[in-house]
Amino acid sequence: MKRKALALVLTAAITGSLLGGCSTAEEQTRTTDTEDTAAVKTDLQKEVVKSGSSDDIKLSVFWWGRQLRNEKTQQILDMYAAEHPGITFDGQFSADYWTRLATLSAGHTMPDVVQMDYTYISQYAEKGLLTDLTPYIEDGTIDVSNVSEDILETGRVGDGIYAICNGINAPALLYNKTLLDEAGIQIHDYMTLEEFKDVCREVYEKTGYKTSLSYGSNTNGDFLPYLLRAQGKLLYGDGKFAVDSADDFVQFFSVFEDGIKEGWHVDPSLYVERTRGQAEQDCLVYGSSPETMSWCGFYHSNQLVAMQNSAPEGTDIAMTTFPSDNPEISNYLKPSQFFSISTDSKYPDEAAALIDYITNSEECNNVLLGERGVPISSVISEAISVNQSPDEQEVVHYINDVVTPKSTKINPPAPGNASEVFSLIDSLTEKVLYGELTAEEAAALLFEQGNEYLAKE
Amino acid sequence: MKKRHRISIYKESTAGIIFCLPFIIGFLLFLVIPMGISLYYAFCDYGILSPAVFSGLKNFKIMMADELFWKSLQITIFYAVVSVPLKLAFALLVAILFQKTSKATGLYRALYYLPSIIGGSVAVSILWKRMFATDGMVNQILHGLGIEASIPWLGNKNTAIWTLILLTVWQFGSSMLIFLSSLKQIPRTFYEASTVDGAGRWKQFTSITLPLLTPTIFFNLVMQMINGLLAFTQCFIITQGQPLNSTLFYMVHMYNQSFVHYNTGYGAALAWVMILIVGTVTAVLFATKKRWVYDGGF
Repeated sequence: MKRKALALVLTAAITGSLLGGCSTAEEQTRTTDTEDTAAVKTDLQKEVVKSGSSDDIKLSVFWWGRQLRNEKTQQILDMYAAEHPGITFDGQFSADYWTRLATLSAGHTMPDVVQMDYTYISQYAEKGLLTDLTPYIEDGTIDVSNVSEDILETGRVGDGIYAICNGINAPALLYNKTLLDEAGIQIHDYMTLEEFKDVCREVYEKTGYKTSLSYGSNTNGDFLPYLLRAQGKLLYGDGKFAVDSADDFVQFFSVFEDGIKEGWHVDPSLYVERTRGQAEQDCLVYGSSPETMSWCGFYHSNQLVAMQNSAPEGTDIAMTTFPSDNPEISNYLKPSQFFSISTDSKYPDEAAALIDYITNSEECNNVLLGERGVPISSVISEAISVNQSPDEQEVVHYINDVVTPKSTKINPPAPGNASEVFSLIDSLTEKVLYGELTAEEAAALLFEQGNEYLAKE
Repeated sequence: MKKRHRISIYKESTAGIIFCLPFIIGFLLFLVIPMGISLYYAFCDYGILSPAVFSGLKNFKIMMADELFWKSLQITIFYAVVSVPLKLAFALLVAILFQKTSKATGLYRALYYLPSIIGGSVAVSILWKRMFATDGMVNQILHGLGIEASIPWLGNKNTAIWTLILLTVWQFGSSMLIFLSSLKQIPRTFYEASTVDGAGRWKQFTSITLPLLTPTIFFNLVMQMINGLLAFTQCFIITQGQPLNSTLFYMVHMYNQSFVHYNTGYGAALAWVMILIVGTVTAVLFATKKRWVYDGGF
């Protein structure tokens, strides 16, 4: 009898703890706006934090990136926590960032501070998942006195500023300078598309190195609008493409078509074997023979450092502008990424203070050193330059002296339902590279199917 | 007296129920309820970021017009129909080889079972991707054999799916173990008697071994068929459906729709169609059971 009672107690305990665990999770994921439940939620969360150590405020910060960024970000969070007793951090990074962020938002358990991207900001802000930062900017919690209005405005959706840019970027054609120098090939900034293709042909003839275009670096979504901007056209309109006919897409696909036909584009089968857009695996720095390598890659300026680090010793990676019919109009400054505060955050004030620290602290930026892009505060950008490596300074030079004087304002963010269009552009490009479609056919399919996707609510 | 007796029975069942509770609760919370929710989402416009809105059969209409739905379904069925019989044949062959016991058999069994333990993992998928790269090990071995090969196994739409099939066939270990145990149950006397009657080894295999193994073959076939239709990791890690969507598994298409394009309602609809397909395939297999599966005793 005793044994039976003991068994009962034990199972009850196990069941209880299981139930308890579940109900806590349930409570936290339940979605209600009434004050009572909100209070319950807060209490619960505080309790969870308390059980950790003292009654610290624990801010969760979520970002994506490579190893270098993970280390640097964790380091500045530790520094901030050391300066502000009572605040601790739960820093998380993820490769599968957008999938995780979406599921967290569905459970209303989004981290306090989240890294945001220009592509996704309108989607998240319009769905009410991000906190409007205007009050924090007005009361000075986030000091933007040294930030240009244009840059600040990139975080605007509707009437509010929902994100603070944490680095300035621009499209950049990274290239193997050592290779070109050895072959005696000269290139210059603001190359036109025709000049660029001539360089591709010349490089192939002289060195055997081929070219990997924007498909290989996973930047088709940037290169296509970039080409259109030279004609004064936007890619996205309201519920449809902003261009009038499929003809406007032909130029984009024909670069790939020419490359394959003339032999200077790398074999598309290479892309199945690698992860497109990963610096370490890019044809620019990795390959077993000239045939499987590219002299250039379509990236963004802040990726120069990562690419240089992935390059074999003795190879200098430099950068110039993307080609188009008129690069001076096509080019633009871009927020490399943002930080936002989620509406799930219990401590928006503390989160805003952290964003201010990242924006305005010299100490913090001496660690980050522009890995996310050139700091948006002109004072900080100036202050850290002495500590930057030559490559990091090259990025600043590119932004300040190459792009800033000759560029136009960035396009509005892509609409929230554009992700299927991105995939479509990629799969059509792939078909052109495999010779299954001509540039004209691909353009027509993109115009037709893309408009269907964009028309969906 | 009678009353007391009933109470004690009641208590017994209470204890039983309590013992089962952890499982039942887990089953309800993590299986039944999510499945119910997903069934509801299948009939909704739902994109994770905002609440679901009921939309009737819309998702299923979209599906009928979705080129990738048909293509991925076709690829997945091809993959399952080719890889499962190959895998079972291979498992049976190796099991028969291992029937004879020697000192090293245990070691060999463990070695051949190893791929089944690690085979579904991400690490092996990455290894596979490297092995079949143009500058990878497979081409280098071919090169060593004097065959000048720089074949892009993964980059060619005709060969890519076969590398995935090969990876699956390689994981024959669990089927092999099941075959081994049922091979051991076939009484030796059958073979002795047939030897006396003058049967050769092949005759013994086709007339004794194979018929008596049919229940095991059936079991393996059903289980592996279900696994094959639900395959995900290989495609997701190795090819991402490339090249030209020639390796796009149904489950990866579902994942992309749900979590990349945020068409989560549509993803749920895809999932439920797959449940119906798996159910139908299993039912058809069971319907044919009478015709070829021996279920008498020994």
